[in-house]
Amino acid sequence: MDTISLIILIIGIFVSFRVISTRSRSLKLLYVCCLNFVIASLIVLYVKSPMGAIVAIVYFVFGTLSSNAIANTIGNLKKMER
Amino acid sequence: MEINISILELFKILTAFVVCWINFVVVDTIFGLPKKPGVYGAEVIGKKIEKVGGNINGGYFMGNIVCSPDASAGTLFASIFYYVLGFKGVLIGALLIYIGNRLCNDPGYAGTIGTITAGILIYVFSDVLHLISPKYFIVGMVIAILTIQGLYPQLSSKLLGHIAKKLRVL
Repeated sequence: MDTISLIILIIGIFVSFRVISTRSRSLKLLYVCCLNFVIASLIVLYVKSPMGAIVAIVYFVFGTLSSNAIANTIGNLKKMER
Repeated sequence: MEINISILELFKILTAFVVCWINFVVVDTIFGLPKKPGVYGAEVIGKKIEKVGGNINGGYFMGNIVCSPDASAGTLFASIFYYVLGFKGVLIGALLIYIGNRLCNDPGYAGTIGTITAGILIYVFSDVLHLISPKYFIVGMVIAILTIQGLYPQLSSKLLGHIAKKLRVL
């Protein structure tokens, strides 16, 4: 394991603990976005081929899309509770 | 498992981090991410950050990053595609980022322009100056997004709001 993967791995473990320990649903999405970056870069460092880059970008775009949908739903729920 | 960490490598990672951070914050700020939330979800996240003691404009910036792939994702994928394919890969990455932006209901200028400026910067640092190879930019971008989103959102949103005022976007 080289330095680059090690640093990304440490960041990933730290951020996943932040995701578990935060109570607020909206603030969790910030850490999940950070985790998406970590996983996309780990995919490419592990696969290291053009196909790996495509897989990483597809993973990232659809991860962002689901974050978008979750944030939208949280907003709508707050509107309904009022 | 043997791990060798040299000072030179850490210095390269630090330089790549600074380059990525400046690239994506400046491009995103110029394209008006702190000004208004692009989608409804970004507004929700911005208001929540203001509620826990941050800046509303920095909150909109961070909400926009969460809700659509902007220049932050552009910088990451410029370094990833440069790492596997060279400079022509950056153009493929810009196209895919544009498609992702359209899927998330965003105009998509910040993402594509950010990808191309990051590609040019990586080209200058790796192939012209022969200083930093593209894989250091991948870890640099991960550390950059950690400082914005992962460490302490209240403080980083205040910093982003301050930068937006300095660049006269607001």
